[in-house]
Amino acid sequence: MTARYLVLETGQVFTGVAFGAAQAAVTGELVFTTGMTGYQESLTDPSFCGQLIMFTYPLIGNCGINRDDSEAIDPTCAGVVVREVARLASNWRQRQPLADFLRQKEIPGISEVDTRELTKLIRQAGTLKARLVDELPTPAQIEAISATPLARNQVAQVATTKAYPSPGKGYNIAVIDFGLKHSILRQLAARDCDVIVLPATTTAAELLALAPDGVLLSNGPGDPQDVPAALPLIRGIQGKIPLMGICLGHQLFALANGATTFKMKFGHRGGNHPVREIATGRIDFTSQNHGFAVDPASLAGTDLLVTHEELNDQTIEGLRHRRYPAFSVQFHPDATPGPHDATHLFDEFIEMITATKRA
Amino acid sequence: MEKEVIDGVTMKRALTRITYEIIEQNAQLDDLVLVGIKTRGIYLAQRIAQRLTQLEGRQVPVGELDITLYRDDHHQPGPNDPEVHGVSLPVSIENRHVVLIDDVLFTGRTARAALDALLSQGRPQRISLAVLVDRGHRELPIRADFVGKNIPTSLDEQIKVAVMEHDGRDGIYIQKNS
Repeated sequence: MTARYLVLETGQVFTGVAFGAAQAAVTGELVFTTGMTGYQESLTDPSFCGQLIMFTYPLIGNCGINRDDSEAIDPTCAGVVVREVARLASNWRQRQPLADFLRQKEIPGISEVDTRELTKLIRQAGTLKARLVDELPTPAQIEAISATPLARNQVAQVATTKAYPSPGKGYNIAVIDFGLKHSILRQLAARDCDVIVLPATTTAAELLALAPDGVLLSNGPGDPQDVPAALPLIRGIQGKIPLMGICLGHQLFALANGATTFKMKFGHRGGNHPVREIATGRIDFTSQNHGFAVDPASLAGTDLLVTHEELNDQTIEGLRHRRYPAFSVQFHPDATPGPHDATHLFDEFIEMITATKRA
Repeated sequence: MEKEVIDGVTMKRALTRITYEIIEQNAQLDDLVLVGIKTRGIYLAQRIAQRLTQLEGRQVPVGELDITLYRDDHHQPGPNDPEVHGVSLPVSIENRHVVLIDDVLFTGRTARAALDALLSQGRPQRISLAVLVDRGHRELPIRADFVGKNIPTSLDEQIKVAVMEHDGRDGIYIQKNS
């Protein structure tokens, strides 16, 4: 049992036990996720790139890591914070314990820290910068944490740089990869879509030359304002090709249409976020992972219509273009981890393409 | 034998999608009038109007057309066209965009009768047709602008749309005439 320290920018030090990577020296934004299940999906979700993920559920790792549930080939989170890491993994699909997986992927973890206390701190202060280290830091080192700039441009770290296909026999869908979760591809594959995944740097002209039936803007990490190249892309294709945006793709869709985004106090991360569909009042529970959101005040004068809102804090969770076949959602209709209430949005995307072809 | 082909939840989503498509086609919702055809089309029109109110915070007028015809299960090719029994429009349709709403688009003869009835009331700037189900087998050159679901059928089948307000349940059913 090796000691490891979680040091907050406020100067508070939480002493815990090391697991995962043998050495820890990472600084990142400390965020909490409330999912009771699905730690493998969260750990491998590229939207967590550069962040220290803290699980509010107190026991993590009890079903190990399996072959099927990863959302990316390699996890890109900076570190993992848990109350207790399971000593024994038990599941018919598991191939290795969580700690072994993190050691192999060289991601440091810390256990035996009071995650409830940490979550309360974050809820009061907002997300904090924090550092995972193996030696007690000096006051100067603690001082340095708040001065450390947070990672920017994470999209470039996680998104593909080369186009690749995921063939099917249905509609041809171009997926713009800003940090794509595999489950989006799984959902499209389940609808037999003929998918081509394109880099985040794709231009509108390149995309129009491919003449896809639909374009999906993927999820991804970080601040949407770090991805300015996506805005002319979106403006160049909307109205010409049906469009769906998810998470970061939703924020970029909003920015491209004149709205603005802001950094939330502590964001929405977890699988228990109720979202109201405004047209019908129907509530779906959704999987979410976002630290930025679209500013409702910025929508006046734009062509965007709010279609979904978060029930607890009225965050904008869905938008639709008033004149073009284009919609976006802030939550993850692909779920994983989390409830499958909203997977029908992929059907809506397919129906939108069908309707556009009919018109 | 009756078989559910579209469940209530999916049916509601189709109505929501039609609502979004109507918004997409109408920069000015001020000019919009929804007109439901006889029993179920009227309820569907009201539901679309409710969705528009929720989304846009404004009321869209809903009119009603009462058109009686041979019932679908008595469908026979022939000259017995549907007849218009009543027209109830809350506002003038002069120069407005009328969206005609019905549950099922089949031969197109009901839609044609509806067009006649509307045109006898004024000169709308445009008339569109929204249907929850397009089952094919048109006998007239009519097509819908907004379609909830395309359900290809054979002539010896019936499509039945159930709405909560009238039938106590939502759903789309297919039935084979025996």
